[in-house]
Parts: sequence; C-alpha cells; structure tokens
Amino acid sequence: MKFPRFAVIALLSLAALPAYAQDFIAGIPRNETLIIQGTPQQNADWFNVWAPGGGGAANVNGLQQLTTDTLWFINPEGGPDAWQNALATEPPAYNADFTQMTVKLRNGIYWSDGVEFTSDDVVYTVKTQIDHPGMSWSAPFTVNVASVENPDPQTVVFHLKKPNSRFHTLFTVRWNAAWIMPKHVFEKAGDPLSFKNNPPVSLGAYVLQSYDKGGNWTIWKLRDDWQRTSIGMAAKEPPQVKYVVYRAAGNPEARVIEQRNHNLDVINDMAPEGMFAMMRDSKSVASWLKGFPFAHPDPTLPSVLLNTKKAPFDNKDVRWALALMIDIRAVALGSYRGAANLAALATPPTGSAPDDYYAPMQDWLTNFELDTGSRKIKPYDPNISAQIATMVRGQWGDQIPTDPKQLQRTFGFGWWKQDVQAAGELLQKAGFKKSGKQWLKPDGTPFTIRLQVEGDAIPTLARAGTVIAQQWSQNGIATKVDVAGPTNGQRLSTGDYEAAIYWSIETWGGHPDLSFFLDSYHSEFIKPLGQIQPPRNLQRWQDPRLDQIIAKNRSIAFDSPDVTKVGQDFLKLAVEEMPMIPLMAYNKFAPFDTTYWTNYPSAENPYSASGPNWSNIRYMVVGLKANPDAPKN
Amino acid sequence: MNGFLIYAGKRFLQFLFVVITGITLAFLIAHFSPVDPVEQTVSLLTSFGSTDPQAVEILRQSLRELYGTGGPLLDQYFTFWGRVLTGDFGPSLSSFPTPVMTVIGRALPWTVGLLTLATIIAWIIGNLLGALAGYFRNSRLLKLAGIVIMALQPIPTYIIGLSLVILFGFIWPILPISDGAQVNLAPAFNWAFISSVIEHGILPALTLVLVGIGGWFISMRSLVSNIVTDDHVIYAELGGVRSSRIFSHYVARNAMLPQVTGLALSLGNVFGGAVIVEFVFNYPGIGKLLISGIYSGDYSLVLGVTTIAIIAVASAVFVIDIIYPLIDPRVKLG
Repeated sequence: MKFPRFAVIALLSLAALPAYAQDFIAGIPRNETLIIQGTPQQNADWFNVWAPGGGGAANVNGLQQLTTDTLWFINPEGGPDAWQNALATEPPAYNADFTQMTVKLRNGIYWSDGVEFTSDDVVYTVKTQIDHPGMSWSAPFTVNVASVENPDPQTVVFHLKKPNSRFHTLFTVRWNAAWIMPKHVFEKAGDPLSFKNNPPVSLGAYVLQSYDKGGNWTIWKLRDDWQRTSIGMAAKEPPQVKYVVYRAAGNPEARVIEQRNHNLDVINDMAPEGMFAMMRDSKSVASWLKGFPFAHPDPTLPSVLLNTKKAPFDNKDVRWALALMIDIRAVALGSYRGAANLAALATPPTGSAPDDYYAPMQDWLTNFELDTGSRKIKPYDPNISAQIATMVRGQWGDQIPTDPKQLQRTFGFGWWKQDVQAAGELLQKAGFKKSGKQWLKPDGTPFTIRLQVEGDAIPTLARAGTVIAQQWSQNGIATKVDVAGPTNGQRLSTGDYEAAIYWSIETWGGHPDLSFFLDSYHSEFIKPLGQIQPPRNLQRWQDPRLDQIIAKNRSIAFDSPDVTKVGQDFLKLAVEEMPMIPLMAYNKFAPFDTTYWTNYPSAENPYSASGPNWSNIRYMVVGLKANPDAPKN
Repeated sequence: MNGFLIYAGKRFLQFLFVVITGITLAFLIAHFSPVDPVEQTVSLLTSFGSTDPQAVEILRQSLRELYGTGGPLLDQYFTFWGRVLTGDFGPSLSSFPTPVMTVIGRALPWTVGLLTLATIIAWIIGNLLGALAGYFRNSRLLKLAGIVIMALQPIPTYIIGLSLVILFGFIWPILPISDGAQVNLAPAFNWAFISSVIEHGILPALTLVLVGIGGWFISMRSLVSNIVTDDHVIYAELGGVRSSRIFSHYVARNAMLPQVTGLALSLGNVFGGAVIVEFVFNYPGIGKLLISGIYSGDYSLVLGVTTIAIIAVASAVFVIDIIYPLIDPRVKLG
C-alpha cells in the first residue's frame, strides 16, 4: 500500500499557519507610552478602590497608583525628601495629648471632571466609611475617629476617641493609605460597596483611557490639566509619559521575553537567574543597583519566624541556638546566588535604616555578649558580608565594590557567626541532650522541626528555607521543609507552624519610626494558638519590656528625635530575645527597559519607589525622560 | 419506541446522579479548603498598610457578614443548590461584589473558542494520521510521523508551551506570547480584531494540538490495525476495490464511531478550561480563573466553574448515550 503524496502536501499545508506581526499596542504611540507589569483583573469593570473588590494588592492596574491621592507620602527608598506633602500643605498638627489632629489642605486641586477638591471630600471619606463596614478603611476610622469637622474648605480637624500619635499614618502612603473619595460622585451612587465607579474620576495626573474586559490590560492617559493635581504641583518638569499601560504579562519567563522584545518597560519581580542573564545580555536594561546584585531591596524583612507559643521555641536559648547553627553565607548563596542584603537587626536594611540603625549600632552589635551557659561569646561578625562579596567576586569581577561602605549597602553590615559548639552549649543550657548525632528535647524525644515556606510564589525564600533546614539537620535537629502554598498566610496567622521563612516586620523605609509594625506587637493583641493573630506579630512574641518600648513610642511624636532611640531599644531587645531570626532584606529583581524611557530611580537617585504595585511609583512615572534614541513610531 | 424511552429514562437518571454527586463533591472540597476567602481579603487589605489589630478584627467581622460565609454547612449547601438551579452562584469573593456569572461570562468565550478549535484540529489531524498509519503500515513517512507524535505524547503541556514561547517569542519573535488579542484593540466584528484573536490564539492552540494529537493518533491507529484484518476488508481487497475507497469506506468509517464519542466527551471538557496553557500564555480564559479562585479561596468562583464543567461533561455523555442507539445497531435498548 502506498501513501498518496498529495496527502503529504495537504498535511504540510495544514501546518503552515498564517502569521504576521502587528504593532504591540493599537492606536497609541509607543514612544509616549510606559508599559508596566500588572496583575490580571477578574473584575475589570470595577474601579472602586474603597470596597473590598477593588482594594489591596488585588488591584495592580494603575488605579491605585495613578488616580488616587491622599494627604501625605513617604518615599520608602528614603532620601532627603522622603516626606511628601500631597493633598496637605504641611505635616499633621496634633494637640498636646494626641487626641486631635488638624490638617491644612492645598488650594487649586481638581478632580479630573473639573470639580474642585476640598475638605468636604475628606470629611465625606471618613464618615462614609464609618457608616459602611467592610469598606477598605472603615475599621481603622471606626476605631479612631470620634468626629471630624471642616471649618473651611482647606482645613480638616479630627477628634480622636483616644490618644494616637500615629493617626496620620492612615493618610500617609508607604504602599497605600486611605484614599480620598470624590464626594460629588459617591453621594449620588447609592451603596458605596456595590458601586463600580466606572469610569473613575481621578485626583492623580492620569485618567482612564481604556481597559480590557478580560482583565489583561488597563491604559491611563495624562490629564490635560495635570498641573491641577498634587503630583503636578510637585513636578519640576511636565510629565513626558503620556500613556501608562498596566498589563498582565504572564509567567516569569514570558515577562523576560516581553521585556527583551520591548513590550514591557517595568517588571515587578523575577528570579535572580533571569535578572543576571538580562544584565549580562541586554544593553537596554537598567536596574536599581548598577552592579551585582542589581536588586531592589524592599523595606520588608524575611526572617526565620519562630512560634514562641510552642515549646521549645518559647525558650530564647533554643532560638539563639538555631540562629548560631545557620551559616548565612550558604543561605545567601543558596537563596539569592549571593545577592542578599544581610540583616542582623529586626528592621530591613533599606531606605534610611542603614543610617538610622545599622551604622550607629555596629559597635553595640560587635560587643554584644551571649551567655551560652558555659561561657560568654561575642557572636556578631561585622565582616561576613565582605566574605560573601569575595565569594561572588570571581563571577562578577569589577561589578563587586571594594569600598567597605558600598559593600555594606550592597551585601549588608554583618551577621552572626556560625558557631555550632556555642549552639550546642545553649541547647544543653535549655536541658537538651545529644544522643549520637541527634538532639533530644528535655523530655527525651527527638528535637525535630517543621520549617514552613510558601513555595513557588517566593522562590528565593523557599530556597533559603531548604538551606537552613539542611544546616539544622546536619547539626542534629532533623528539619523538614513544609511547603504551604496558598495556605501559608492562614497557617502563619493561626499559629499552625513551628518555624517559618516569612516576614513579620515591614517599615516605612524612608522614616525611622517603627510603629508601622511595632504597635501591633503589643501583648494586648496576642491571641491563643488556633485563633487568628492580627498582623504582624506572627511569632506571638510577648515581653513586658517590649510593651514598655511600644508605650514609649506611642507617647512621642512621629518626628521626635527620640523615635530612633526607642527604635534602637526595640532592636536591642529583639537581638537579646531572638523571637525571629532576621535574615536579609527582601531583594526584588525588577529590571527596567530603557529603550523608550530613561531616568528610572536607582540607588544613586532614589527619588521614587519603582515597584508596579507601590502607589509611590507615581513619582517615577512623572519623572521619566523619553529616550531620544527610541524607535520612532 | 417504549424500549428507547426506558433506555433514555435510565440514562437521564444516571445523568442526574452524576451531576448531583459531582456538584456535592465540588461543594464539599471547596468548603473544606484550608484557604479562607475572608482571611485572604483581610490579608490583602493589611499586608502593605499600617495595621491596627482592633481595626483588623472589625474588618474581619464586616467581611464575614458581607460575604455570607458564616452559618452551618448544611444551610449553605441548600442555599447553594437554590442558586445553582437559578444559574446564580452569588458574588465572587475575590472580586466582591461582582457576580460569579459575570466573571465566568467574560472568560468563557475565550476558553470555549480556543479549546473547541484546538480539540477539533487535534481530533482531525490525530485521526487522519492514525488511520493512515494503521492502513498504510509500510509508509516510512507515516512511521516517522508516528515516532514524532509518540515522542511528543509524554512531554508535559507546560514544557511544550514554554518551548513554543521561547521559539516564537524569543528566538524567532513572530507571534504574540501573551493575552487574547492586541492591547487597546476594542472587541468588534471586524478583521482587525478577528485577525488579532487568531494571531494570539496560534501558540496556545498549537500547544493544545501538539498535546492532544497523540491520544487520537494511537487509538485510531490501533482501531484501524484491527479492522484491516477483518473479513470484509480482505474480501474488498480481493475483489479489486481501490485502496483509497477501502480506506475511506470500509476502514476509517468503521473506526470512527468510538472516536466520535471521544470527541463529544472532549468537547464537554472544554468548559473546564485549559489551566496550564492559559497560565503559560496568559490567556484570559476559565482555566486561569479557576486557578486564581483556588488560590484566593474564592469558593463561589471555584464552584461556578466546576459546576459548569460537571454539567457540560455529564450532558455530553448523556447526549452520546441517547444518540448511540441511533447510529450503532449493536447497542441494545432496555
């Protein structure tokens, strides 16, 4: 039997699928457009950022980043102008006992539909949210606000239910904050929880141009009257970015390809390997750090969280023993290929923290003594970051700085020496015994640990967990890595874990005040295991000295010079007690494509946050410069 | 006729049993999932902002009331059935208060279009090549095709998809690797939009075709290999009937019956989405929706998608059962 030839031709013709290239974006000039990585929107028609369906991290489509506004911003990257007055003309004014806060508002700010912004909008925002439980800022307003009044269009006075020196932080953007609602729109809208707010009136420099009902992209256009916004008033030059496209660009591999094809200017996050490959191969890529590790450190502190409500993690000697069993160099190499910014203190080494805390506390750390029960040791090694730099210098050569100060900013200041012998002494002090190679708890049962990691969502931290589990196992504590996946958050908050690689500390980044996380560490908020612990004290650390520090911080003003001293007291206590083992800054690999745009923020010029989901990115968007060598449309 | 009615009645009861059992299981699995949608929303709203523990507790209680996730499981179960019967799955919890059916309605056309097309193409090519390979057993070209198809068969979908992304998006960047259509192109019945949808669908469809061909090819080839040794085929060959006629009328037609059944079942599966392919190509379909629903604990959405998939598959089986006696005389009624 012969197979007819015509059939071969027919089959081959089936495979010849037609393909022709289209422009990437229809109808708008690419060289006036900034393309940023967003997230897919399940409810693309929804532009109500004040209701659960439109709030929080779910909404990375530019709505929160480009159209909202509130009273103040703090640049998480620090810098001399970290504090930004946005809708307010000046910082908040409190009375003596912090029960009243007065805000002065800017003149001449307009919503994108031409209606003037006034104190009516602020008062309406607060009252409406108090009246509608479930709205994004309803709960904190309910807890704090006794009444709010506006004696004139540019003044708002808040009367608080109890003293709160940090009330203004509700209106201060680090990642987001209580955005001001357009009274003239919402008062006609009916139920504010089910109102789509489509199209949204904007208080920012951009307005909605179009969006994909499938939720893959949203396009924003520069307002004609961008000068009548707070960011427009702060801008030194007219914004050059006319259009901003937030697009969901698929999996990490696809994102890299899209950027190399110049279809994605700003990527949010990728694996270190992808970043290193891009920096090596592509001439048009820029990054936060010019040289290795090219990363951007978020003001977030990945740590080994230890559940202090579960024995034996309730014993600080055991916690310290676990810290001393870690060889941080191997963790840095295993998780970030050496591109880790180490943190021995319980605050991320980012923004202003190196100047506020890390540099001033080096002497204290170096002289810090730990009693192992057999002897006293000084566990801190100020040169450990330099050792990591030496390890990666072979691969990266001149990219690795030699200046000690630069090394500290790149790889961190120092960390604890691995000291297995001292760890053993501490375990013995806690009543543990060694049987062969295995440590036994005081009751005679083997000391084993379940080390929880989230998994694929944060691969670098999952790798860190694997390395630490190996090290603990090698040193006599059989440790299993437990991948929690999407249940990670709930297991952490209910205390269903022993040890976990995650973070319970985030900071302003651009301000020394630690209240951003510290206030929630007070013992009044500790819940029993099984019940949900409020963010962020996931390790349920309880200590009367900690409560005193928190009370002290609550009693002083946000900008008081004493804030740093109180912060240092907290950091010293956290070192002594080791309720969590801080590891490193949360380094994110977020490359920029310079084919169309330049002047991205960097370590040298940290004028703005650059993460696509950070509201501060608005300062980057209006600060970018068109690349004169960009392809012409 | 009476026999057929009894047969159809039995099959209908079977259909109802499958649907009720499937949906009940889906309900229980979704509700016993360790991911709590309220906690997911609380976590979203508090993960980046300064948090007052008292405020978080108030927020949690407010959301529980809004989402209606409290109450005994049995009450929720009967409420859920009430909703299923009216085609309303309530609000999506991760996109509150957008109704689940609105969210699904946006994604469904993309998935149905992509999967229907890819399933039919894979079915045609797989069956055609399988039939030819079973009949023309000595053709080197068809042997080679068989080797290639068999080699593709065990490769995971993700790897095939990613390979196509690298090949046509990076090495030879001629095709889009993401989205369902060009950015900023308004959906309309015009060539610009239709051609853009086709262009964006090529790589995901090709992935599904490459993954799907193998099964059809193998089953068709073995069916044809059995039929070519049947008496009626040998008799036709001895009678001097042209081989092309023997192939089309005596062999392929007889082998098609189980493949038609398979096609109907595959088309029923279309409503379940192609999770991996949609993820790889960021295709705005049901599969991607299902994954995000699972991750966010949005059991309203998960139940909506799975219920539609269960009903679609069960309906496809029911329809096949009903029409089988009409096309295959070997099926006994009653």
